[in-house]
Amino acid sequence: MQFRLEKRREPSKLMTYLTPVAAVVLTMVVGAVIFSAIGYDGIGAVREIFLTPLTNSFKWQDLGVKAAPLIIIGVGLSIAYRANVWNIGAEGQYVMGGLAATGVALATYTMTGWWILPLMFVAGMLGGAAYAAIPALLKTRLNVNEILTSLMLTYASVQLIYYLVRAPWKDPMGMGFPQTRRFAADALLPNIIPTTIVHAGVPIAIIVALIAWFVMSRSVFGYQMKVVGAAPHAARYGGFSENKTIWLAMLVSGGLAGMAGMLEVAGPFQRMVPGFPTNYGFTAIIVAFLGRLNPLGVIFAGIVMAITFVGGEVAQTTIGLSSSATGVFQAMMLFFLLAGDILIRYRIKRVVPVVEARA
Amino acid sequence: MTLTRRNVLKVGAAAAALPLLGGKAFAQAEPLKVGFMLIGTVNDNGWNFGHAQGAKFMKEALGDAVAEPTIVENVPEGPDCERVLRELAQSGHKLIFATSFGYGDYVIKVAEQFPDVKFEHATGYQRSDNVATYNARFHEGRAVCGTIAGHLSKTGKAGYIGSFPIPEVVLGINSFVLAARKVNPAFEITPVYISTWNDPAKEADAARAMIDQGIDIIAQHTDGPAALQVAEERGIVGGFGQGADMVAFAPKAQLTSIIDNWGPTYVESAEAVIAGTWASADRWPGLKEGEVQIGPYNASIPADVVAAAEAVKAGQIDGSFNIFTGPINDHTGAERVAAGVTLTDGELLSMDWYVEGVNPPA
Repeated sequence: MQFRLEKRREPSKLMTYLTPVAAVVLTMVVGAVIFSAIGYDGIGAVREIFLTPLTNSFKWQDLGVKAAPLIIIGVGLSIAYRANVWNIGAEGQYVMGGLAATGVALATYTMTGWWILPLMFVAGMLGGAAYAAIPALLKTRLNVNEILTSLMLTYASVQLIYYLVRAPWKDPMGMGFPQTRRFAADALLPNIIPTTIVHAGVPIAIIVALIAWFVMSRSVFGYQMKVVGAAPHAARYGGFSENKTIWLAMLVSGGLAGMAGMLEVAGPFQRMVPGFPTNYGFTAIIVAFLGRLNPLGVIFAGIVMAITFVGGEVAQTTIGLSSSATGVFQAMMLFFLLAGDILIRYRIKRVVPVVEARA
Repeated sequence: MTLTRRNVLKVGAAAAALPLLGGKAFAQAEPLKVGFMLIGTVNDNGWNFGHAQGAKFMKEALGDAVAEPTIVENVPEGPDCERVLRELAQSGHKLIFATSFGYGDYVIKVAEQFPDVKFEHATGYQRSDNVATYNARFHEGRAVCGTIAGHLSKTGKAGYIGSFPIPEVVLGINSFVLAARKVNPAFEITPVYISTWNDPAKEADAARAMIDQGIDIIAQHTDGPAALQVAEERGIVGGFGQGADMVAFAPKAQLTSIIDNWGPTYVESAEAVIAGTWASADRWPGLKEGEVQIGPYNASIPADVVAAAEAVKAGQIDGSFNIFTGPINDHTGAERVAAGVTLTDGELLSMDWYVEGVNPPA
């Protein structure tokens, strides 16, 4: 018996929005079955990973703080991916945004003033955008694949952190540990809810997603991005420049990744450390797709990913599930999502072998 | 338990934990919940394995007085560890061990929010009323390894894979070189810092690069056996296990190993919390107390070298020998410690200079 994938004429709108939900549900069901089969408390694992972070109000602050950078970066990536510009290096742009903000924080270390944080904010966005400009330049001038250049620049950015925190920016009070000094009070992101760890980056993430949704659905810019991505030929006839689109997509996604870097370094980290790159830039790729490349969907997806991170730790402390299990759940989710996407666009058809009739 | 908002909110979590407690409902006291936060996985066969063994030892020694220890693996040194610390504290752990240097800031921060929880930070330097620090004098073991290296190395050059140039690591490098140079005055090493505690690929790459440059002994201050595996594969004179006996990974290349024996100190801390006598302090035991142990010597090491190594070990246990007694020159050749003077613990814990024989890394 053979099967074949046959293209559907029109992908179902409804299913497009249902597959992410189905992927999450399938992940929970299959995860419970698999972990039970290998001798763990499978249902407990699913409960701790997916439900405890939602039911325990103490975890909400963690979800917000973990989801914020994922949402900000994910929004930028969803805009770029809509235009078929494959920026895989958001992690590097996040790092450069963090470094640019750190540069401002250290340069203004002895100063005070309300203007320091906004300056860091702008520096972070510019840092990320400037780093994303390199793949954009190479792509538009030399037609170099942006997937490779943006990805490889990520590794260069990590080395730059190592260099900076070891020599020029090293904390004089850090016992030789490679890290910058803790930022001065005016360079730290304020907490917006007292006695929690919720910092200003959390509402900023929501605002960014809402603005992006408005721009993408209501402006010429958004229209241009979508048309160039969906129908490049039509876009050319329509007078949209492909190079200009690449530039815009890279600068916006890089700038947002840089913004996330600034918010992280001035918020949870409070100083630059070698452990600053924590894969937000890569995880945000899953978030962008899980959110259907729609800024509002990205909010939902960012929170779902944050749940698996926070819940993974809950599962470790409460039922002793290994940390690798979190990775298994995240991978299953992406797998089911991509599999679902295939089934939206194609249907499985059984191939009946044609038996030749002999005369 | 006082009736605060925090406790009321905790009811949900407590309800989930009820079935666990059911069997012990009639025990006299609630068993102490002890949490361990690790930077790697317990099966790294080195640093994290050592702490997990310590946790196991504690449970076996104290029985029903403590609950099954909670171990959280793969916690990065950053804001993520703050969340894990809070999670442990909120879920009723009254004693929490944070076992990597970079957790320091976050331990202090979370400890402020949970004054009734005791925190112990391994290898750190920041303390508060409910944060203690503890470490082991690994450098004493390094002196034993360095003695063996000085005897066995043919090229007189060793490699050393470090994580970060913090005093704890610098101490180990200096101790190793000082011991080796007592045997072979021309001995030198070149450390490489790889900016992580656990990345087998990076550790192996560094080992290969250094072997290509002519070293025939390798030591490492990272968490796993990757460098030793490369030593085994390339057939150099050998290397040393760090944190645990790694002989299974390098039966020929592991000359001996420095074993971290955290069990007794974990028992002591847990007993102190149960008895209510716990107090913030800095503990720094070594070979004498048995917190640092030297593993079995490789059968290939000549008897006189084993005897020399054992002498260095015995001298450090009975106090007749201290590797950091002058005269000691720094890497430029200038005298740093005068003859007969021994560096104090304070000077050791802030050591940021290399002794003669170390080619300082860029």
